[in-house]
Amino acid sequence: MELKDKLEILADAAKYDASCASSGAPKRDSVDKDGLGATTGMGICHSYTPDGRCVSLLKILLTNFCVYDCQYCVNRRSSNVPRARFSVDEVVKLTQDFYLRNYIDGLFLSSGIIQSSDYTMEQLVEVARRLREEHQFRGYIHLKTIPDADPRLIELAGKYADRLSVNIELPTQDSVTRLAPEKNVHTIKLAMGSIRTKLDEKDDHPKAPVFAPAGQSTQMIVGADASDDHTILSTSQTLYGSYKLKRVYYSAFSPIPQSPSSVPSAPPPLLREHRLYQADFLMRGYGFTAGEIMPEAGNLALDIDPKLAWALANRAHFPLDLNRADEAMIARVPGIGLRSAKRLIDLRRLRRIRWEDLSRLRCSLKKLAPFVVTADYKPAQGMASSEHLRRNMADAPQQMNLWPELQAA
Amino acid sequence: MSGGSAAQRVLQGQALPVENFAQWRDAARDLLMHGVAPEQVTWGAPQRDDLLAGDLFSSAPPPAAPSHNVPTPPASAQDAPTRPAPHIPRSFMEMLQSAACCRVPDRWAFLYRVIWRWTQGEHDVQSPADEDGARLNGMVKAVRREEHDMHAYIRFRERPIEAGAPRFVAWYEPRHDVLPQVAEHFARRMGKVSWMIATPEASVLWDGQTLHETGPLAHNAQELEDDGEALWLTYYRSIFNPARLNAGIMHQHITSDRWKHLPEAKIVPHMIGEASRGARKVGQYEAVGQRKGTTIPIAPEDAQPERHQHPSKLDECRRCELYQFATQAVPGEGPKHAQIMLVGEQPGDQEDLAGHPFVGPAGQLLDQVCEAAGLDRSTVYVTNAVKHFKWEPRGKRRLHKTPGQREIEACHYWYEKELASVKPTVIVALGATALKSVLGTATVTLRDSLGKPMRHDGRWVVTTYHPSYVLRVPGEDAKHEAFSIMVQGLKLARELLDRPPEESSEPGLL
Repeated sequence: MELKDKLEILADAAKYDASCASSGAPKRDSVDKDGLGATTGMGICHSYTPDGRCVSLLKILLTNFCVYDCQYCVNRRSSNVPRARFSVDEVVKLTQDFYLRNYIDGLFLSSGIIQSSDYTMEQLVEVARRLREEHQFRGYIHLKTIPDADPRLIELAGKYADRLSVNIELPTQDSVTRLAPEKNVHTIKLAMGSIRTKLDEKDDHPKAPVFAPAGQSTQMIVGADASDDHTILSTSQTLYGSYKLKRVYYSAFSPIPQSPSSVPSAPPPLLREHRLYQADFLMRGYGFTAGEIMPEAGNLALDIDPKLAWALANRAHFPLDLNRADEAMIARVPGIGLRSAKRLIDLRRLRRIRWEDLSRLRCSLKKLAPFVVTADYKPAQGMASSEHLRRNMADAPQQMNLWPELQAA
Repeated sequence: MSGGSAAQRVLQGQALPVENFAQWRDAARDLLMHGVAPEQVTWGAPQRDDLLAGDLFSSAPPPAAPSHNVPTPPASAQDAPTRPAPHIPRSFMEMLQSAACCRVPDRWAFLYRVIWRWTQGEHDVQSPADEDGARLNGMVKAVRREEHDMHAYIRFRERPIEAGAPRFVAWYEPRHDVLPQVAEHFARRMGKVSWMIATPEASVLWDGQTLHETGPLAHNAQELEDDGEALWLTYYRSIFNPARLNAGIMHQHITSDRWKHLPEAKIVPHMIGEASRGARKVGQYEAVGQRKGTTIPIAPEDAQPERHQHPSKLDECRRCELYQFATQAVPGEGPKHAQIMLVGEQPGDQEDLAGHPFVGPAGQLLDQVCEAAGLDRSTVYVTNAVKHFKWEPRGKRRLHKTPGQREIEACHYWYEKELASVKPTVIVALGATALKSVLGTATVTLRDSLGKPMRHDGRWVVTTYHPSYVLRVPGEDAKHEAFSIMVQGLKLARELLDRPPEESSEPGLL
């Protein structure tokens, strides 16, 4: 099989993985050095595909042969897909060739499980080792970790890779048991735990050997089982707290060719995935807990974003005096982001905040109006009810459109 | 600059020709020291002979010099500076330098107005909430965006090896003057491989060691053939998921004037068309979907991985909800028939990851207490009343949370199993939770039973503090006292080994 054919099959097989970041690596460069590659700590998106997602890494599987039968996965053993396998050298060369032409910032390598977990992991590590040691490649490397692999292989992977990830796949133990019978939440958690332990060691002993400097992440598939957003966010919170993950990626389930009957035949609305990312960012960036965002079972509202939903449900905190509140609380106002909150605090050292400042900072005035007090502005007395505000601020309902993508293009 | 200092020229009614940031900065410093207001200055385009034959790359502008480094101006009274050289914070200077790359016709005049206002004490001029500040921040943002776009959307084409250096060439049309800093970015990236980036205004060549400025070049880079590009287009097509077609977001990120630099642009319309015609029903790209597929013939039981860690029955425990949030259940550890059993509260953050009891900070303190009490920890059985870690999120950390009575009761099942198999003579309850579990009642208090041996179900029970309490209690004296109470507790446990509870004459508490 030609290289082009393999690339076609093994990139196609990797496109369901949502992770795409190339950030967080330590600064490296290749000036006056053999080899290739630099990292700045900030990732770069090199292109965008028509699904709106960025290309920052060469994201491929080493092989899509797989002995597991995960029901949501196109590469499961019972799936009738064309199969291919790259040689280690082919991946190494492809990565360097793409990097030289500035198509990518590095490699994101995953694999179907062949022979055994250890064998598969050894192959993944070998690609990274060869890139780093034989070719002095200093670009970004993200390796998918096989949870059942020997911890020594995970340790070795962390030596070469900037980021490691272990996919939790589904938000509950029961769903994993049902839809991914060969996987096991227990070993997934143990693998994440062993990565965190190594990361902690590196934090405590700065002279310890390098280990996955860009940390670890994971992916959860949304909409392949019946779990609601409350469950999903609480699982994410557990993962962030327990394993110091950099990111949890949410991947809306894509129906796959000849889907088994155990998974739905239609995808969940992509907006649900979007709302989960927004809620997730509230946990990572703003210090919200899952319980604050979703106090009870159910799904996130689709018509308004989670921060606005929280503010409407917590009117007692508002209106907030922007000249007195602390930064974290200002950032909780709908329409004011982390950066604007910081800028308001900076400005407050010079003078009092006025309504016009909010407009110059490009905050969403319509959203924040009922929630703030400034030197020259107070929301009207007898404020509107939350239901009324919600009706006013909800994203406009959209007329169904037969060819939305043509219109967007 | 010829014709005297900037202030002199302004006072003579001349325009100030400025080519780059370093020149502007020198002129601005002189003007500020002479107190020349922005309205008095005309910033002109440079005359050709005025241009310094500057090497764009080797003469990086020097850092802002403090006042004593400024050359003494001519001695005429009119030229004497009336003010000290301004002190501009480095971060603000960097902001101005970045904004100076923005191609707006009045950039030098605008930057002078900004720095003038700043030296007048109007420090909010750098805030986006100020009118000039908003424009300044906007310019910085536009320049950063252009740098980012160039980092992302330059595409090198490989030249045939016999063509010699440069090995890779790219054509790009930047919106702002960012070529120097972008060239440095690529120099860091490409190692000893030579390349050239051509733009309509200037070109830059990296020979593997140094950057060279060359003149504007025709965009012949675009006409080069490169076989590598076909593989890129294959990848680009295949990594796209037609089931998620969302072209609007793509166009939001890559604006229309960027597409001409991207080889993938020519296949995008076809991909969108294909996806909207039905390929989006299933995720898989048509070219792959039409190939002959194979299933992997392997029996489910053979596909099961050999788990290195065989989960014990304990690890499958669902008697309460705690298992959902913990990594693993942490069983007790120690000799099979230890005479002393230490019971703690629950595993902590470290124990949850390691799968062993008392390995974190509390475990280290327990080691010290054992040593002080003359007790070899390897001879005692150490376990916890609750086997799963209970916690609540605090920022990005797990904060220990005391187990509730229901969880203690649920886990008592496992404690009893351990008790039945180890059959210790003395049980040491570390802290209130352990005490509740050992005695099987919620009404007992730590304070009442501290240091007093009890008989319970034919065994001695000694109560002392939990090591975490010793770590947590404020004040050195209190810490010391708590530590010695723990040591006494363990000593007492050792002594009780020789006093079978059945033979004691006194009932209840001793």
